[in-house]
Amino acid sequence: MIDNSCIAGDRSNPFLPEMMRIVRRFDLTSDVRFFQVRPTEASRALTLYYKPGTFMMVSNPGVGEAPLSISSTPSRPGLIEFCVRNVGHVTNSLFRMKENDEIGIRGPYGNGFPIETLKGRDLIIVMGGLGAAPLRSLLLYALDNRDDFGEIYLLHGAKNPHEMLFRKEFYDMMERDDLHCMLSVDKDDTGKWPAKVGLVTSLFKEIKHIDPKTTHAAICGPPVMYRFVLQELLKLKIPKHQILMNLERRMKCGVGKCGHCVVREVYTCLDGPVFSYWDVLNMKELIY
Amino acid sequence: MRILKLKKKDLKKFLESISSFGELWAPVKKGNRWAFQPTAPDNIDLDAGRTILPLKKFMVPQKFTMFKYNKEGYTPELSNIPSRIVFGAHPCDIAGLNILDKLFTENFPDPYYIERRKKTAIIGLSCLPDEFCFCNETGTDTVEEGFDLFLSETGTDFYLVWIGSSLGDDLMRMAENLFSEDIAFEDIQKFTNWKKERAKKFKVNIDLTGMPSIFELSLNSKIWDKIGERCLACGSCSMVCPTCNCYDVKDTVELRECKGERNRCWDSCTLHEYSLVAGGHNFRANRSDRLRLWYTHKLESFIGAYGKPSCVGCGRCLVTCPVDINAYTLAKTLREEEVFFK
Amino acid sequence: MNPEDRKTKQLPKVGIYGLTSCAGDQLTIVNCEDQILDIFGSAEISSFLMAKSDNTEGEIDVAIVEGSVSSKGDLEMLEDIRKRSKVLIALGNCACNGGPQAACVAAEDHKERMKQVYGDVKWSLPDPIDAKPLSAYVKVDMQITGCPIDKWEFLRALGRLVKGDGPIPISYPVCVECKYNENECLLFKNEMCLGPITLAGCNSVCINHNIPCFGCRGAVIEANVAGEAEMLVNMKHPQFPDRKNFDYQDVKNRAMMYGGNTMAELLDKAKVKGAKK
Repeated sequence: MIDNSCIAGDRSNPFLPEMMRIVRRFDLTSDVRFFQVRPTEASRALTLYYKPGTFMMVSNPGVGEAPLSISSTPSRPGLIEFCVRNVGHVTNSLFRMKENDEIGIRGPYGNGFPIETLKGRDLIIVMGGLGAAPLRSLLLYALDNRDDFGEIYLLHGAKNPHEMLFRKEFYDMMERDDLHCMLSVDKDDTGKWPAKVGLVTSLFKEIKHIDPKTTHAAICGPPVMYRFVLQELLKLKIPKHQILMNLERRMKCGVGKCGHCVVREVYTCLDGPVFSYWDVLNMKELIY
Repeated sequence: MRILKLKKKDLKKFLESISSFGELWAPVKKGNRWAFQPTAPDNIDLDAGRTILPLKKFMVPQKFTMFKYNKEGYTPELSNIPSRIVFGAHPCDIAGLNILDKLFTENFPDPYYIERRKKTAIIGLSCLPDEFCFCNETGTDTVEEGFDLFLSETGTDFYLVWIGSSLGDDLMRMAENLFSEDIAFEDIQKFTNWKKERAKKFKVNIDLTGMPSIFELSLNSKIWDKIGERCLACGSCSMVCPTCNCYDVKDTVELRECKGERNRCWDSCTLHEYSLVAGGHNFRANRSDRLRLWYTHKLESFIGAYGKPSCVGCGRCLVTCPVDINAYTLAKTLREEEVFFK
Repeated sequence: MNPEDRKTKQLPKVGIYGLTSCAGDQLTIVNCEDQILDIFGSAEISSFLMAKSDNTEGEIDVAIVEGSVSSKGDLEMLEDIRKRSKVLIALGNCACNGGPQAACVAAEDHKERMKQVYGDVKWSLPDPIDAKPLSAYVKVDMQITGCPIDKWEFLRALGRLVKGDGPIPISYPVCVECKYNENECLLFKNEMCLGPITLAGCNSVCINHNIPCFGCRGAVIEANVAGEAEMLVNMKHPQFPDRKNFDYQDVKNRAMMYGGNTMAELLDKAKVKGAKK
């Protein structure tokens, strides 16, 4: 018997989705919706395991399949969470789905963040836009295993307060004394924004007490964000192979067969989606 | 590997006696070219050149259904895969299958590929190169594995038959009396002579040594833009390439109910939509970017991952690309030999 | 869906209309004999003049419009349909690209052309104008092209539409499907085939019957029209020295037959060697 206990789907047919039930959904911003799903067989819920930074292939019968980053953390088992932006056929159709509807899930796929390597290190987590989805997984994991990590910096930038994903959750984190939670918006059109106004790069001045040699950074956001954030991280003298990025590609299989996510000899779905800045420099085409 | 003799005049009898295994597919003439088609042993063209499509069409058909689905979930479609005998596979094509084997059977094995591979008996047949073959340069003019039986020409009245698998052995035993094991010294001589003669017939002068470094050094070359201007992005090269394995997945839905199929079909990295992600960003918006991916993947990246190019020298890109962009012209151009732009 | 559900669930309202064309695309729908009950069962077809008589013209969810805008009457009808529909789909080459009637739009003044063909006659038709695709006048949400349309493409699209999803547009050229069908390439048989620049979806039906592609489905996204013309008119293929070249004007005429003005402009921009001014 092939053991399927800790994955969603079927090991003997990696393309076969497992039906899961939507338990909760609500809007994070005007075009991003949050989904919590759970295996239809309740007994499976607690055994599913994944690493922060991995992704699942999500199917809606009759519409298609799309890769989605996991936003939840394995340290809180039972539910899998996704942030969905309404941009393609599959995501559009997910927006029509209600609680208790069923969708197909298979995964997790990808390398995820190197949790073992990150243990005992300081972390700088930089997120922008929908990049909050995969990095929230890492952040929550680190906070749930707080003793395993050194200083944790969270830098989250958004265009305006309405566009910030999980803003309520992150507001609350500003109260924590074991996390440097720094939020910024490019423009505050509400007049009630309690944190900084400015680009996410302006938050870097406030990073102190880190030893670059033992610090890892994780970035995810829109392509324009990378260049400027990378400059800041290099200014902090963080080694290139310790700067990690969670990248996005077109994918049809998630298991290194369909070819769409190939960059040179690398499959984003197998060897990624987490790459170091060194990998990126080595492989033209990886981010731009 | 066990090697036996089969009289040429007994070939038809042999193919007839194994017909209970499955439908016989072999190269038959299609216009000026050939195609693998279901056929009777009488109609096989034993001197067939390369077929329009390679053997991959048997293992990953152009279009097939992966799942049927309804509201309750997905059901795999693996039960109606037919058993077939594919006769007349050339060494380069079998080498192509061996490369696909690596991709589809390792690391998340693909059950659709594996099931079809199991149910397809491959009977290879040696061939003579035409003016577009360069399997001698890619090291695929002979194959050691990947077939069930392989019939080699000897220039006389018999074939030497290599038994490549236990299925091959079963097939041979279905007409055991047609085979003989007594191979004389002069038979070996005839066979090696024929091989020598064959080696002399290659005409394409393509130099693939050092290709990975040449590609690495040419990544930003203007050549790509020039070739991109010329490329029609028609995808034909990928369709006919024995080792191109990219595919797309599409769902269909029935009109009245929530049920339908999830289908898989061949795709090509030279097509516009290949690297387009939801939201509209295209990682390879230009034809030149996509074409560079195609050829770096064949001639550089695969060498990095598996130690040899994923080009098997079948010459299909040479006879298919309407604007003469192919492994031969590309390798030449990258060596700074003027090919396209005199 | 069981009958109970159908009574309670509101089906999307669909109207199928024809402007100037041969009506071949609507006929293709009517000819879906095995699926016609499903078509009428999956949506409320409020108007379909070719297939039924009790048509109502009110607000609709999906309008499917065949034909080009070739008269002021067509235009009024189209504008009316657009106003009362949520989604408007152009059906067939005439609606998507203008059709053969738009082939030489750019050549001369419309009145002059009419005179050349028909002489000085009094028009009983409502004000003919230059034939143009729907998108020249109104917002078109989706296109299902072809001459005629492919039945299966239409059914797939309708299947998705009635469930609230947009059809998945095809983005690759005819060559892809032609290779699926393992055809011998007609470009190597001295035929003027437009497959490389033409949108697929037809299952390469013409080439399957040894007829080179006419481009009836219009240009594929990012079609390399310049490259195609250069190949047909000037290119000497070193591996196939016998392949013949074509006259530029012949290539242009063929491309314009279904590609109309758009193709003409793309070709002129390409500045192919051998093209006459």
